[in-house]
This record gives sequence, structure tokens and C-alpha cells, in this order.
Amino acid sequence: MTLKYLIQKEFIQIRRNAFLPRLIVMFPIMIMCVMPWVMSMEVKNIKVAVVDNDRSTLSQQLVHSIEASNYFVFKGQVPTYRSALQQMEKSQVDVVMVIPQDYSKDVALGHQPQVLIAANAVNGTKGAMGGNYLTQIVTQHVNPDIASMQSRISTLFLYNKHLNFKLFMIPALFAIVMMLMTGFLPALNIVGEKEAGTIEQINVTPASKWSFILAKLIPYWIIALFVITVCLLLAWAVYGITSAGPLALIYLLSMLLALFWSSLGLVISNYSDTMQQAIFVMWFFVVMMLLLSGLFTPTRSMPSWAYATTYVNPMSYFIEAIRTVFIRGGGISSIWHQLLALLGIGSVMAVWAVLSYKKNS
Amino acid sequence: MKQFRSFVIKEAKHILRDKRTMLILFGMPLALMLIFGFAISTDVKNVRTVIVTSSMDHLTQQAVDRLAASEYFIITQVAATPREAERLIRGQKADMAIVFGPDFASKRSGVQFIVDGADPNMAQQWTNYATGVITNMDGGPANVKMLYNPQMKSAYNFVPAIMGMLLMLVCAMMTSISIVREKEKGTMEVLLVSPVKPIMIIIAKAIPYLVLAFAILLIILLMARFVLGVPLAGSLGWILVISVIYILVALSLGLFISNIANTQLVALLLSAMVLLLPIVMLSGMLFPVESMPTILQWISAIVPPRYYIEAMRKLMIMGVGIHEVAREVIILVGMLVVLMTLALAKFNKRLE
Amino acid sequence: MNAIEVNNVSKSYGSVKALDDVSFTVGKGEVFGLIGPDGAGKTSMYRILCTLLLPESGTATVDGFDTVRQMNEIRRRVGYMPGKFSLYQDLTVQENLEFFATLFGTTVEQGYDTIKAIYSQIERFKDRKAGALSGGMKQKLALSCALVHQPSVLFLDEPTTGVDPVSRKELWEMLEALKGRDITIVASTPYLDEVRRCERVAFLDQGKIRGIGTPDEILTRFADIFNPPGIEHSQGGEVSGENVIEVEHLVKAFGSFHAVDDISFTVKRGEIFGFLGANGAGKTTAMHMLTGLNQPTSGTGRVVGYDIRTEHEEIKKHIGYMSQKFSLYEDLTVAENIRLFGGIYGMSDEDITLKTAQLLDRLQFTEHKDALVKSLPLGWKQKLAFSVSIFHEPGVVFLDEPTGGVDPATRRQFWELIYDASSRGITVFVTTHYMDEAEYCDRISIMVDGKIKAMGTPDELKKNYNQPDMDHVFTYLARQATRSSD
Repeated sequence: MTLKYLIQKEFIQIRRNAFLPRLIVMFPIMIMCVMPWVMSMEVKNIKVAVVDNDRSTLSQQLVHSIEASNYFVFKGQVPTYRSALQQMEKSQVDVVMVIPQDYSKDVALGHQPQVLIAANAVNGTKGAMGGNYLTQIVTQHVNPDIASMQSRISTLFLYNKHLNFKLFMIPALFAIVMMLMTGFLPALNIVGEKEAGTIEQINVTPASKWSFILAKLIPYWIIALFVITVCLLLAWAVYGITSAGPLALIYLLSMLLALFWSSLGLVISNYSDTMQQAIFVMWFFVVMMLLLSGLFTPTRSMPSWAYATTYVNPMSYFIEAIRTVFIRGGGISSIWHQLLALLGIGSVMAVWAVLSYKKNS
Repeated sequence: MKQFRSFVIKEAKHILRDKRTMLILFGMPLALMLIFGFAISTDVKNVRTVIVTSSMDHLTQQAVDRLAASEYFIITQVAATPREAERLIRGQKADMAIVFGPDFASKRSGVQFIVDGADPNMAQQWTNYATGVITNMDGGPANVKMLYNPQMKSAYNFVPAIMGMLLMLVCAMMTSISIVREKEKGTMEVLLVSPVKPIMIIIAKAIPYLVLAFAILLIILLMARFVLGVPLAGSLGWILVISVIYILVALSLGLFISNIANTQLVALLLSAMVLLLPIVMLSGMLFPVESMPTILQWISAIVPPRYYIEAMRKLMIMGVGIHEVAREVIILVGMLVVLMTLALAKFNKRLE
Repeated sequence: MNAIEVNNVSKSYGSVKALDDVSFTVGKGEVFGLIGPDGAGKTSMYRILCTLLLPESGTATVDGFDTVRQMNEIRRRVGYMPGKFSLYQDLTVQENLEFFATLFGTTVEQGYDTIKAIYSQIERFKDRKAGALSGGMKQKLALSCALVHQPSVLFLDEPTTGVDPVSRKELWEMLEALKGRDITIVASTPYLDEVRRCERVAFLDQGKIRGIGTPDEILTRFADIFNPPGIEHSQGGEVSGENVIEVEHLVKAFGSFHAVDDISFTVKRGEIFGFLGANGAGKTTAMHMLTGLNQPTSGTGRVVGYDIRTEHEEIKKHIGYMSQKFSLYEDLTVAENIRLFGGIYGMSDEDITLKTAQLLDRLQFTEHKDALVKSLPLGWKQKLAFSVSIFHEPGVVFLDEPTGGVDPATRRQFWELIYDASSRGITVFVTTHYMDEAEYCDRISIMVDGKIKAMGTPDELKKNYNQPDMDHVFTYLARQATRSSD
């Protein structure tokens, strides 16, 4: 059983490396402890300045309702729109509201006053949300009718009742950690043996392609198993967040993802001549798949051509499935087709990894 | 001078001959610009919505029509009970449900949104938009104006971020690897023993990467302007000057890494882990710095791209004058001086 | 004034003393040999003289300048070719040469005469990438790059490792020409004929100078190290009539270039077959085809009864191979490497354990079995690599320059291992640039320009070509070469 000896060799090499064991242990810990705090795309502390050209009791009422809202950081009243914009250029203010001269008169007469809300939309999400909330406040203030209607709207958030961003991001972090750990290390592996010349010695032995490649893959799967366990434990210990769905499914998904990334890493390694090449090509795939996976932005907001790429993007299947299991508590019936897709793409990659390794040219 | 020139030429050949790396280096900005420009966005669009109502009265029908007409929502189904809607959401067939009370028209009962809250940002936006559509706020008293980015394109936000990331990557990572490679292969010994001054070796190595980075910068700017339609609102001259300062910061960082690392593997991992990750995570490129806990905000204060991206957002998109970004420029120059001094002082003129 | 003065220099890395109180002087225009086994401290000495390392104690001057304080002056005056000098693989031959010429403030034209003897052999491949050259050709290019300028002091750290005998002679003729121009040369080499061409040599061992004197004095004084007695080989005992390797009209072409050009030969079971040839004659390419690493362009071959074209994976089960470049895992220990390769060849755990103990005992390695391979000296690594390649008792073992850069005493031990293997019935197929080793073979072939020019026992060849020894036979045949690469 040559496989046993080859696997032992891989493990010894990983263990002997001065850097890798530390990386394998420290990296998931670092990521899990720091990143959930960073990866909050929560929009808060929107800074508002108000230009009140009406200066009536009614307009001041509106200003107070903004001041009272805990959604905004009220930056005070500014004499002119111009000076407000200057503050915006200095990034001291995100949204400016201009109350027109005849505000109170219009409201009293039942006309629609025109309140200007100008948001800094360089960051689109932030601008939109700021504009939206201010609009609601103004509308409620002007049209008590609408206000009463709004008051009749209630919202029930499922799965993530407190809209906790960390809960949303932690399964995504699993994906990132798994991708980096099981993608980059194999990508450097075979090309490293090429540069060291040891691959030539292996190539004149009867060791089969399958056992050589499998021996390279299996250690990364075991590392993946370790990494996902560390991640789950830390999510529970540090943030008190646990999976809503069955743990077995989380492990199954992670292993399938590791199958894909480690195989892709070896494929790239087989085709590369230098480590630099391998890392750059890998990096390209990592960035592309990550951005198009729906991890940061919803896939359904993509145009159809971009959405089509998610059908071949294992990251996209993984993200969708792990969020379903981890956050929504879904079972195997809700993610079976993601499982199949991951298994399919992963197997194709693994076969490719074996075929692209040439013992004889 | 002739030595210097032949050095630069040799270095340029190393870069040009590695076709795959070149392909990635120039393919990456193109791909990133297209993805951020056209493929991904946080727009509220195609939200799969289930309507739950027991009696489709006139007012309910109007609200549903308005929802269906808006580009934000797709009405996928009409369900009889909230329980059924919840089942659809749980099965990933719908994103939200809008439950109209039986007496919606008579204004005695209300509306309930049942929302898949997995993604908090989107969940909140969906309810905002739905509220707006149902209460028919169009033509209301508020007139919202989106400054600098009227079409709310996410590209506006990301173009400066892409610049910050790619320039750092090309300059810091590639310079450090190319120096470490010579150490590893033993050619550095010969270069050091040659009459060429060590400092010249370093400068000669840096120049092709500077040019490369500048070429990538121009590609990004041209694409941003002509393909994505991002305005270059501020002074182009200053944009280039600040970019060059930033490129130099990145080069110094690369040099610094090459002083510490002795093998390509370590240089690669150092660049990827110690450089790239903080850049992407802490620079405000993807995640706003002000939403981070204070301690991370402090750490992000020493991440150079943070200031570059900030300055570029203000200069390019908002089109402010140079005095509005003076703080960022001063900090970048300060970092450049410190890093350059450190890197050169630490540079080994011998092998130990 | 002496060109180089070294006074009581010491240098250590951690607890290892690389140089221990070393003193010597080299006169201006002298050719000085710095010789000693691998790990003796030669490279550290070169680096100190080139201002790359700082001595811990003691002083050294080069051309009157202190190596610590006057770094820039020295760097302007010296030329240095490090032991593991590698070129820029992605630049062409000419680009490499031009770059180094400019680096040293000269041009290829100005230095052409100096390097002509060696460079002319690779000049016709000047547009080829350095990475595509064969091992020996790379070394020649590296030499050309180091010699293209004319420094006042030249340091050459084992410049001829992997270079064929004819080219080595040409190199030393070049060095002697440089001496005529008052250039001081310090060189190290494992070849005794090269040692004899120095005016004076210092013998360095374990960081200490054991003796300085003329080559003859040193070689006689330390004869047991440099001139171990030859090995007696009882010939013919095991050689049976059966052919283990049969090759007919084998060709390997890269485009229009025929690296191996229609070769035919047979090797019998138990034979030690020497496969000689100049750098770039096609030896390694031929060997890659026989070991199943490469497919032949045309022709047929059988190794241990299997076709090299279709049954290469079968062949791999029955052969051993030791490549030119050391290729055991450096980050594994001695025992772990043995275990790995034993396992790959399908040996059982008990078998491996038992045979490992025997092997370590025979090599007297037992106490180093848990040492990382990268910490071993070169000679030990080579002996280990050989032992690993025959650990599974293959029918044939292929050795590609197994003793390159190894000192004479270790080479002798190495050949004892080869004889030992041969006496157990293992056929040995070996390439070498040491002509004394060629004499140890049962039968040899000499390849020139991709073709086999001569084949027979060493005695037959000497008689046929009417030459006193193999060195002359080789030189006589190799000088007929028309092409010079790959």
C-alpha cells in the first residue's frame, strides 16, 4: 500500500516546515476572532446635518424627530446648503436635509412641501439607507395618514431575529478559511517539488498517479476537518453562535468544498512552472469565485449573465447551502441539490488533478 | 548608468517572459472592474415575494399591483396562510412574505412582513422598500438626491478600492519575491560582489514594477472612465501624484519583506497573509472602517491603503480639491519616509 | 605585496565552527588552490574574502583592502563564482552573458578573447533560454559569465562540477592565460588533475588549515585522503549472457535537434556499464528514455524485458534511479526517506525495518538515522541516494553523475557500494566525468553529438585508439565533436 507511505511523507513534511503548522493553527483562530468584527457591513452612525430654511415650530419639530432617532448621528443645523456640502466634502456629514422656506405653510394648507434630502452616495448602500430612513421620517411628519399606515406595518424577521451581522457572516467565514487553507497550500505543493527536483525521483518509481495525487489531497482534507472544527468551536465559544441545522451537514459541506479547492490547487500546481505563477493563478480564481459567490452581495441582484456563473461556482453552492443549514436550520432536503453540485464539480476537479499530473512526457 | 540600464532591462525581461503572471496581472484589473461594474451589486432587485391574503379587496389589490410593477419585487406566489408563506421561505423558495390583514381596506388591521433575516442588511432594505411601495410614498414630501453617484453604482465605491489593492499587490508582493528569488538562487551573491552599489540594485529592481504598477493604474482609470462611466471628478494630476506616492509606499513595503524573508515561500505567504488580508479587510475597501470596533479602527490606522482609498474616493468621485485630502496625503508621505528609511537601513549589503 | 592575506580568521554558525583560526597568504598573480572535503569551510572562506560575510575574529585583506572596512574597494576589484551559482533561467545565453558583462563594467566583445575557449562551445545556442541548457552547459555559461570581466582577484568555488574532462582542461588553460595578466586566482576543486595545476594549495578540513604547500607536497602528505588505493574489482563473476538493456536505433528529437541520434547498445545482467560523453552529448536524455521519464521519438528499447515505449510503468517497478540533481526529500530524515521509497516499491513494514537497519549499519549511518537529510554533507547524501535507489533490489540501477563534486575518499567509498551492488547481481548503468571511474567499469560507451562513437572494455578502447589512459581516449574522441549543446 504505497499510499500509506506517501501520506506519511506529506504529513512529516508539513510538520517539519517551520511555518505551516503554525499557520494551520493560528490562521483560523485569527480569522474567527477578528473578522466577524470587521465584516459587518452594517450601516450605522449616519451623520446628518439639517438646513432649516423655514425656522418654524413645525420644521423644528421635524429636526427634533431626527435628533431623537437613534439611527442617525445628528451633526447640528447648518445655515446654508452650500456650507453643508462643504462639510460633506470633508466627510463630516453623510446626509443633508434641506427644509424649504414654506414648509409649515405647505403642510398647513395640505400641499406637499418639497424637502430635499441629499445623500453622499459614493457608498451606495449607505446613501440609500440614509436617504430611505430620512424619507420615512419626513413622510410621517408631513402625512400623518401614511404615518398611521406605517404604524400598522409590522415586521417579523425569521432566523436572525435581531439582525445580527455576525450570525450572517460566520458561515461565510468558514468558506473563506477553508478556501484559503485548502486552496493555496496544495497550489504550492507540487510546483514546490518540481523546483526542488524531488518529483523526478517519484516519477521513476512505480507509484501510480492516483496514489501520488491522493496522498497529496488527503492531508488537506484532514487539515480541513481540523480547521472547520476549530471554526465551529470558536463561533460557539467567542460569539455564542451555533448551527441551527445538523452539524453533520456542515461537515459534509466543508469536506466537499475542501475536495474542490485542494483539487483545483493541485491542478494549478501541475500546470505551473514556478511558485509565483501558481500563487497568482490561484489568487485569481479565489478572488473571482469569492466575489461572484454571493458571499458579500446577493446573487439575485446580479444581471442574468453574471448569475449564470453561479451554476458552475462551487463557492456559490457552498455559501447558499451553509447559510441554509447554519442560519436557517435547513436539513438535507433543502440543500440536496447544492450537495450534488459540489460533489460533481469536486469530483471532476479531482480527476483532472490526477490526469494533469504527467509521470512520462 | 549603463549598468543601471541593463539591470532595469534584465528585470523587465523577467517580468515579460512569465506570460502567465503577466496575464493575471493585467487580467485581474480588467476582471475586477467588470465584476464590480456590471456583475455584483447590493441593489434590491428580484426579491421573491409571497403575498398572503384571505380577501383580495380593492386596496390590497392596488398594493399588490404596485409591488409587482416595481423592479424590486417579483410576486412568486399567493398563499392563504402565513404558515404556508413561512414554509416557502424556509424551503428557500421565497425571500419575504407580505401578509395583508383581512380588513386591510378598512384600515382596521395591518400588514405584516415576514422576512428571511439571514442577511440583515438586505432584510432591512427589503422592508424599507416594501414599506415605501405599499404606502405609496412616491411623490411624497421628500425629494432624495444622490450626490456624486446618482445611479448608485457600486463601481464608484470600488474603483478606488481596486486601485488600492492591485497597486499594493503588484509592487509589494512582486518586488519582494523578485529580490528573494535572487537570494534563493544564489545570484544575489554575485550581484553584491559586483562593483554595482547595492542601493542601485534595489532601485533597478523597483523601476520595472513601478512602471508596471503605473500601467495598471492607467488601465484602471481608463476603464473606470470610459467603460464604467465613473467620473474622474477631481484633478487628474493630483490623482496620479498621490498614486505614485502610494506606489512608492508599496515598493518600500516589498523591500522590507524581502529583508525579512529568505525563501520565496515565506515571501509569498508574508505578502499574502500579512499584507493582502489586512488590506482587503481593514482598509475600508469592502467593510466600512467606522463600523469596526475601536481597537480594529486603531489597527486600520496603520494600513496605508486606507488613506489612499479614502483620498481616491474623495478626489475621483467627489471631486474635492487637494486641500480636502491633505490629511491623507501627509500621512502617506509620512509612511513613505518611515518605511523607506527602515527598509534601506535594514537592507543587507552582506549575506548576514 | 601579497594579493590576499588572511590572519587568524574564525567564523561559526551557532555551535558549528566553520572556520577556526585560518591564516594564509596568496601572492599576486598566483593560482592558489583551496581544497578540502565538502563542509570544510571553503565557501565561508570565499564569502569572507568577497566581503559577503564578516569574520568573527581575525582580519583578511584582498589587494591590500580590508574586507570589513573597505567593502566597496574590494567589490570593485574581485570576481566571484559561487558554488551554487545559477543563471537567470528565463534569460537567453547571450542575455545572461551581456548582463553580467555590463554588470562588471565591460562588454562581451572586450572579454570575448578570455572566455572564447569555453563560450565558443555554447555560442551557437546563444538564443536559447539558460533554463533549457543541460547541467554541464549551464556550468560553462556560468563560468563564461564569471570570467567575462578581468578582475584583479578571481574566486572560483568548485567551478568545474559537472563539466566534462575536455572542457575542464580548456578552462584551466584559460585560467593560466589569465595568470599571465597578473590576475590572482583562488579556486577549489575535487579533481586531482586540477589541483596539480595550482601553484600552491591549502588543505582545509573541518575549518582548520591542515597544510599549505605545492600540490605534490600536499597530495603526498595527505595521500590517504586524496589518493586512496584503487579498488580491486573481480570481473565477470556475475555477468550472465542475458541482456538487461537492449536499445536499437533510439532517437529523441526536440524539433529539428536530435539530442539522441540513433543509438544502439545492449547491457548484460550484472554488468557495470559506463555511459560517458561530453556535456550536452545526450546522456541524460538517453537515460530519461530508458527510465520511462521521456518517450523516444523513434527506435525501440527494452529494459528488464519491458518495452520503454508502452510498458514504462512496468519498467519503473524493476529499476532504481539516481538523478544528477540530488532528489531525496531534504526535509525528511535519513530513515524516513528510506522508509518512503521502500514503501513506494511495495515492501512490507517488517522488511523495511529490517533492511533499513542493515543498510544504516553498512553505511555506518546508524547514529545519523534521525538526522534531516539537508544537514548531511554532499558525499553522504550521494551515498544515501544510491543506497535508496537500490533498496528494493532492482534489476538495473541508473546513476546520472552520482559523484559530481564529491571528494576522492568519498568517491572511493561510493564505488565500493557500486561493486557491492553489482556483486549482488544488480546491473549498474552509470555516467561520470571522472576518467578514473571510467576505468572501474566493466564496459563503457562514449557518446559524442548524440551518437555512440566507441564502445568496449576500458582496455579495448585504450588499445583501439592507442592512448595511454581513458582520459586521453575521451579527449581524443570528444575533440571530434562538432556541436556543443544538449
